[in-house]
Amino acid sequence: MKGRGLLWLGLVALGPAIWAAAFTLVYALHGAGCAAGWAGIDAGPVSLHRLLMLLGWLAGITAGGWLLLRLPAGKDRETWLPRAGALIGLFATLFTLVPVLFASSC
Amino acid sequence: MMSILKRMAAVSVPLFAAQACAAPLSTLDPAGPSAEAIAWLWWVFLAGAGGLTLFVMALLALSFGAPRAVSERRWTWGLGVWFSLAILSAMLVAGVAVGERLLPRDTALEVRAHAQQWSWTFTHPGPDGTVIETGRDLHIPAGQPVDVRITSADVIHSFWVPRLAGKMDAIPGRENVLRLQAASPGIYEGRCAEFCGIGYATHRFRVIAHDPADWPASVPAQAEEAPE
Amino acid sequence: MTENSMPPADHLANPPQPALRLHRELTRVWSNAPGIRGVFTAVNHSTIGLRFMCTALIFFGIGGLLAMLIRTQLATRKGAFLDTEIYNQIFTMHGSIMMFLFAIPMLEGLAMYLLPKMLGTRDMAFPRLSAFGYWCYLFGGLILIGALLMGVAPRDGWFMYTPLSGSTYSPGINADVWLLGVTFVEISALAAAVEITVTILRMRAPGMKLTQMPLFAWYILGAAVMMLAGFPPLILGSVLLEIERAFGWPFFDPERGGDPLLWQHLFWLFGHPEVYIIFLPAAGILSTVIPVLSRTRILGYGAIVASILGLVFLSFGLWVHHMFAVGIPHMALAFFSAASLLVAVPTAVQVFAWIGTMWKGRPQLKLPMLYILGFFFTFVMGGLTGVMLAIVPFNWQAHDTAFVTAHLHYVLIGGFVFPMMAGLAYWLPMISGRRRIKGLGELAFWTILVGFHGTFFIMHLTGLVGMPRRIDVYPDHPEWEMLNLVSSVFSFVMTFGFALFALDCILQAWLGKHARRDPWKAPTLDWAMALPPPAYNFASLPRPDMTGSEYAGGAEVALTLARGEGVLPGAPRGHREVLVTGIGHASPQHVAILPANTALPIQFAASIGVFVLMMLFGLYYVALAALLPVLWFAWRWARALVPAGSVPPVEIAPGLQLPTHYDSAATLTGSGLACFLFANGTFFASLIFGLAFITLVSPGPAPPPLEGQAAVSAMLIAGGLLAAALASLVPGRALKEVSEAGSPLRLIAFGLAANLAALAALAGLAIWQLGDPRVHAQTAVRAALLGYVALQLFITAIFAAFALDQARRGELAAGHLGALRHWNLWQGYTLAIGAISAAVIWAQVLSQ
Ligand code: HEM
Ligand SMILES: [Cu+2]
Ligand SMILES: [Cu+2]
Repeated sequence: MKGRGLLWLGLVALGPAIWAAAFTLVYALHGAGCAAGWAGIDAGPVSLHRLLMLLGWLAGITAGGWLLLRLPAGKDRETWLPRAGALIGLFATLFTLVPVLFASSC
Repeated sequence: MMSILKRMAAVSVPLFAAQACAAPLSTLDPAGPSAEAIAWLWWVFLAGAGGLTLFVMALLALSFGAPRAVSERRWTWGLGVWFSLAILSAMLVAGVAVGERLLPRDTALEVRAHAQQWSWTFTHPGPDGTVIETGRDLHIPAGQPVDVRITSADVIHSFWVPRLAGKMDAIPGRENVLRLQAASPGIYEGRCAEFCGIGYATHRFRVIAHDPADWPASVPAQAEEAPE
Repeated sequence: MTENSMPPADHLANPPQPALRLHRELTRVWSNAPGIRGVFTAVNHSTIGLRFMCTALIFFGIGGLLAMLIRTQLATRKGAFLDTEIYNQIFTMHGSIMMFLFAIPMLEGLAMYLLPKMLGTRDMAFPRLSAFGYWCYLFGGLILIGALLMGVAPRDGWFMYTPLSGSTYSPGINADVWLLGVTFVEISALAAAVEITVTILRMRAPGMKLTQMPLFAWYILGAAVMMLAGFPPLILGSVLLEIERAFGWPFFDPERGGDPLLWQHLFWLFGHPEVYIIFLPAAGILSTVIPVLSRTRILGYGAIVASILGLVFLSFGLWVHHMFAVGIPHMALAFFSAASLLVAVPTAVQVFAWIGTMWKGRPQLKLPMLYILGFFFTFVMGGLTGVMLAIVPFNWQAHDTAFVTAHLHYVLIGGFVFPMMAGLAYWLPMISGRRRIKGLGELAFWTILVGFHGTFFIMHLTGLVGMPRRIDVYPDHPEWEMLNLVSSVFSFVMTFGFALFALDCILQAWLGKHARRDPWKAPTLDWAMALPPPAYNFASLPRPDMTGSEYAGGAEVALTLARGEGVLPGAPRGHREVLVTGIGHASPQHVAILPANTALPIQFAASIGVFVLMMLFGLYYVALAALLPVLWFAWRWARALVPAGSVPPVEIAPGLQLPTHYDSAATLTGSGLACFLFANGTFFASLIFGLAFITLVSPGPAPPPLEGQAAVSAMLIAGGLLAAALASLVPGRALKEVSEAGSPLRLIAFGLAANLAALAALAGLAIWQLGDPRVHAQTAVRAALLGYVALQLFITAIFAAFALDQARRGELAAGHLGALRHWNLWQGYTLAIGAISAAVIWAQVLSQ
């Protein structure tokens, strides 16, 4: 009884939480890579450093997209808000990490 | 009080603003490519912000009157999400692009700026391959990029020459690099821009850009540093 | 979100009773003690909320006076009025007072005052905690003001950057005053955040679904959750810096492996969310007042809730925009720049939803609406300059100049002070029970608006032509003088406006005619009562048919409720009873009996105050002894929760019996403890972040070789973990035994012993194996982590001792298991962080 409401709140927060995880992961990869010199290692067309961050970014996008697809659609607030959360998470992951594509890394 | 008001009234605002822009520490009077790019950003932002403020105020003014049927989608998604995202995306691209251009790339002449409470120690090449240390003026050649390696001996300071480039902090235990370029020879005011204690207000310096033809011969030895 | 469905509404209706009789009965139970005793023993949310707001407004006045001193000094080039030392203290205190002693307490007070009324209940979840928070706030604030009067106020700027605030460059107690005083005040912020969260989730009137509660509650919930996650990094930073200053552990000293940037990360990890913590409640006021004054409903309720959700999360990903010039690589800057831009989207959604609401309705230019227009005009500009500052290259120029001073006042005064004044104008008839005097309020508004923009608009230009913030004189810059003079003159206009506003409020409360009920025709429950509100808010609590939609009914339901036709009418048992409901659909769960008037909060806060003062004066051994009274009051605090005997169930409506909280598992206290553990967990996570940062990122000398023997360390760690793991089995088993009517005395004693053994292992580790924490930051941060684990173990041991004491007194019966449950929760947390800490320390040692 108590659990259900909490579960729903958790579901609403899940989308943004995916963003938070992806953002932290890529930021941590960035810091670790600069400290460990991964930027100098080649991995195909990009450096190993950028490749890892790209993978982190893609993982976040995949998780966000997966959540969005899993959640039922509907207009009433109880169905809509978790979806809105998923949209926020997906969008924030796309937008805030897009600099991995073009900014210089270290 | 009356005389103050009179003085204020006597100065017409646009004239006043134009005059103020050309100040020794003014970011709006750029004298190098970095500061120039940023000043450009500012003027574009100003125009955009002015337009947006007027737009929102107009919407607000129009709201006074009879009730109207409004579409929730249009206000929250249309204006709230898509309209603002379009503007913000453009700003992000512009900001990152300009930022990338200002980063130190390739190699450039290197000088050092070491901050302490409340003075600076600059180290740069002098005439005949010597290394010269100065206390008030940092000497650079004009027309070419210079990397300033910035360090601190005690607390955090910040190295800022507004007419040439943005600021970069001097942090004890770390070394930061700022790329500077002066378009033409001259004297450019600089100052510390991170609160650093009692002497903060006067924690200042100058950058002197020399004609590249005379560089580094024209750099005076520290003893000869001209008084202000 | 399906919970068991609500009983039909008519089931929850009670027969009508004489309203006056109910009023007398409830007043006897709920009102504060008369006279001077009431000052020290009051716990009622209306009283405490008003105290918070009044005290915050007084601090606003003090902060404003300091601002006037700053502006007077800056009016001319040479200043020549304050010396630099005093000037530095003044701007530091202005910023610190406005942020910590005005804005946060103001919003806490407003939330405490309004929430129970809007949600349809009689008090906050933890009345004693409200009062305790207030006293901590007051005492902490007095310490800061006292230091200002004695000329030893903090002087390193409101963000206290190290090393400037370290003991080398800031000798004397000035910085300690900030670190200890502000941390003391932040206890009240954490307390408020815990109880606000629990109140909103568990105390809504039956049938008021989360998805239908007033938007104001959503905003406050967002702010409270942010406070739970945002304040711990600041508290951690302050504790570490105070330890560095007092005992020489070099967390932030670059010469011994520390890093000034760690302070900046911890501070801004708090500092940026802080501005949204301040903004959210203000936006809550706007979302409440705009539709009422436009005679319509809010446009886009769902979109606004989604915006709040976005803000709560995104605002934790922006903090590096205060550090764009510290030399972080460009890609990282670009991430934070993008996040700072993106956070403007939810803000824009709200702004357009509000304007759309006004289009939808018929806005009326009453006084609150004037302040709302002032908000739009000011905040839009402040938001736009904020977006500019999020652009990295522009920030490199504008950072730390008067441009930033202008920006931050546009958002803080535009986005917080104006909405708060709209809110005061809107709720003052409720608070004072009186009507406004016409004209004066409008005059105050226009004076403030003109004064504000005259002061701060031009300051953007002052910054762009190079004037840094925090300087006291500028003798060589005549070009800034006229700009500053204009700002200074208008700042006095603004001050005059604020004085008019204060006068208006006083006159209204003193001379105003009695207010009509529900003067604004509002749809929320806060107006469904007499004005000014009685101590108990509602004679009976609203029923689902009154709360089941966004339109709660306002004054129309007031009479029904006053006649006791809602649920849980009156106070026939002589207790302060409230209804506890489920998180999602607010179905009734049990009746909580709240504590009545008591002096324990002020005694508890005062005992902490003594500890803080001893620390401040450097009397560290005395401070250690001063912890004993703190412990004693904490014990008495918990003892007061134990019921004297068994408490029968309560009939809240004909045929609906609910148990009291003594006989319920999911209590308010349990929820509160979970919230507190969440904050505690963020504190721990921040500490782990600090350890990783110092170990991996900080430049500087290598750490000294490890002391002690690896085998001994490993044995102590393994032994300690084993003891903690054994202890963690105890409370769960004890719970089982009690419910099977056994006596778990020996089991509990074993649990206590196991915790003490783990503590002993930790002490051994610290004494023999750790090395001197003063030598290197890595050793220091490792010691800090051990200290943290030890503190949690110590608290667990206290829980165990408390349960043991209860078992000895024979109080542990099937119905009354609160202490065991809470011990269980804390013990589990302690085991988890103990295990993580062991792994982290092991990894750190390996990386050396
Ligand atoms: C009553 C009208 C106010 C005036 C005239 C005013 C004026 C000022 C001035 C002149 C400064 C100093 C800038 C410098 O050092 O160069 C300042 C700083 C500041 N103000 Fe205000 N202020 C006012 C209200 C507020 C409010 C309401 C808040 C917050 C809720 C606030 C927060 C701050 C902060 C955080 C700082 C930065 C302090 C620092 O640099 O450490 N101010 N203000
Ligand atoms: Cu400095
Ligand atoms: Cu910020």
